[in-house]
Amino acid sequence: MAEAQAPLAAVKVEALVVMKIIKHCSQTFPTTATGSLVGMDVDGTLEITNSFPFPVVEMPTESHFDNAAHNAAPNAAAAAPRAKANAAYQSEMIRMIREVNIDANNAGWYTSANMGNFVNMNVIENQFFYQKEMNERTVALVHDVSRSAQGSLSLRAFRLSAKFIEAFKENKFNSEELQKSNLRHQDIFEELPVEIHNSHLITSFIHQLQCPNPSGPTELPASLSALEASSFSKSTTLTPNFDNLSLNIDPFLEKNCDLLLDSIETHNTEVNNYQYYQRVLGREQQKINNWKQKRTQENATRATLKQPLLPEDEWQRLFKLPAEPSRLDSMLNTRQVEQFSRQVDSFVSATTGKMFAVKGNLLPGETAK
Amino acid sequence: MAEDSFLHLARPLGPVSVGTAPTTAPLNVVIQPQAIFSILDHSLRRNADQERVIGTLLGTRSEDGGEVEVRSAFAVGHSEAEDQVEVDMEYHKQMLALHLKANPREVLVGWYATASELNTFSALIQNFYSGQGDGTWPHPAVHLTVSTEAGKDLETRAYISAPVGVTAERAADSAAFIPVPYELRYGEADKSGLEAIANAKDVEERSTSVMTDVEALERAIEEVLGMIDRVSRYVESVIDEETPASTAMGQFLLNALALAPKVEPADVERDFNNHIQDVLVVSYLANTIRTQMELSNRLATAQLTLGGGEATGTTGEGNQRNQRGGKGGRQQRQERAAPEEARA
Repeated sequence: MAEAQAPLAAVKVEALVVMKIIKHCSQTFPTTATGSLVGMDVDGTLEITNSFPFPVVEMPTESHFDNAAHNAAPNAAAAAPRAKANAAYQSEMIRMIREVNIDANNAGWYTSANMGNFVNMNVIENQFFYQKEMNERTVALVHDVSRSAQGSLSLRAFRLSAKFIEAFKENKFNSEELQKSNLRHQDIFEELPVEIHNSHLITSFIHQLQCPNPSGPTELPASLSALEASSFSKSTTLTPNFDNLSLNIDPFLEKNCDLLLDSIETHNTEVNNYQYYQRVLGREQQKINNWKQKRTQENATRATLKQPLLPEDEWQRLFKLPAEPSRLDSMLNTRQVEQFSRQVDSFVSATTGKMFAVKGNLLPGETAK
Repeated sequence: MAEDSFLHLARPLGPVSVGTAPTTAPLNVVIQPQAIFSILDHSLRRNADQERVIGTLLGTRSEDGGEVEVRSAFAVGHSEAEDQVEVDMEYHKQMLALHLKANPREVLVGWYATASELNTFSALIQNFYSGQGDGTWPHPAVHLTVSTEAGKDLETRAYISAPVGVTAERAADSAAFIPVPYELRYGEADKSGLEAIANAKDVEERSTSVMTDVEALERAIEEVLGMIDRVSRYVESVIDEETPASTAMGQFLLNALALAPKVEPADVERDFNNHIQDVLVVSYLANTIRTQMELSNRLATAQLTLGGGEATGTTGEGNQRNQRGGKGGRQQRQERAAPEEARA
């Protein structure tokens, strides 16, 4: 079945799903929220037509003192999609919604993110679980709450690439394997274009929401207070959203800098780990070489004395080479940094435009030059 | 949307057991867009022979019970015949339990139907939802009707009910529906989503892609330019004495124009330069960090393709390179700290 189908090329999200995800993610912000997506696959376009949130398993309070459990607590929601209890919840829910004619095929899952910090092991493992266990044609939708609060909706769809899945399955992340497979951090995810689709009813609903059908020409207001009190000044029109016109630079940049610093920290740790590994490896290699030389000399003397030779491959039992640390973490980290810098770029391009506009506005003479 | 005006009447109460005092205070219903979207979606997915579909509304109730916020909805299967109605109560209960597991803060607040008509069946279902035990009792159940008839406006109405005393046998299928005011409310977070959805409203395919930051900015600016055009057209036509003038309008515009800040050009210049430098430096550094990390990772894994020598030799080489990459990262960090201090 799989080879007959074209690979997934795009994701079409229903307006309902967009609203549901926004609701769930902003409700639980800043904790990560996750949920399941259902939909249909139509000729390479995955149509996501409904969604439901995953229940969060509450951690018992006494475990807060326990350091390990404390670290695990915020990840409870993030790990939810692959938790066993939720698999049952999901299949139950899908069984239920099938009865009311909603598309009951698993189409993936969604998660919330804060400033694009979604590239981590949890997302990888969840998506791996989905693509492997549930259905190959699934996506992860990432809704960035803090970026959406700045005015423009941030909703992106990701899949793990086939190459990465292959490597992840066998945990092939040491340098030798990476050289062989030529897997780079750009190859972890495949991003799919996201399209928002409205049903006819929603289209007509939004049209009504925007212009409340004026019955005849509007009368001019009698006084200033009447104007301010009228429905026009507090209109509920959806567009434009002027949030993205505000010139609010510092919080965003500071947050991004913090995240970048964290990433550098992680990178350094990884590099140090690797260096440590290499030092240990070098030492062990040295020992082995010494041992081999000794054995060869011994055998040479034994040969002259006509004694039976000692086996030369005994070193494999005597010495143990250290295991190479996985490069996966540093790969993810690099991918994460790339995500941050793209985000900064996109922000900067809009901000510089706004700043020049403000300057031109306040100093009209300057722009004429 | 229907612009109805409402008169709050103390609603009649049913038989009250001792100890509980149902309130007769006015009730206001707030609907969040995702609930309406759910209802519309369900209406699209109804069976061909069904005229209307029903479902359960969930949400929160304010402490005094004076405001009900409808947050989400799910569909419940039902079938209507000439003289009987069948609602899948088992389904409703299971779905409610599943929903509450994921949204522990939401409670059952009522039900919806996708036709404006109120009939005996409506009363029957309403009595179930507002009943004791599984229903919303002692709070009133909200009944929301969203008409989805083709070719007509979508009409939303909210009701609560009161029991009408006819005879004991008929009490179950009779109820007096009292219309209550409702409003559509969406939060800050929903705004960007709704904007994206609204983008698709004038497109024939009814679909749109997610905008980038710059595109969104462009749109907003175009929108503002359009508004300024409209206002200046109006002002011009007033000056040409084509449209009647309005003092209030003039005052309003004057107030808006007075909002423009008055600042010294030197101050503007200084602030502008400070900020633009910050912005550009962060962008530059972010990209440098990215390049450095990528380089360091590449070098760590690409050693063999360059040297092709002995395993031990190349590991050492890689080690050195790695160190260089690491140092680069550290250097970046120091540089990074400087502008941040400057800004603080």
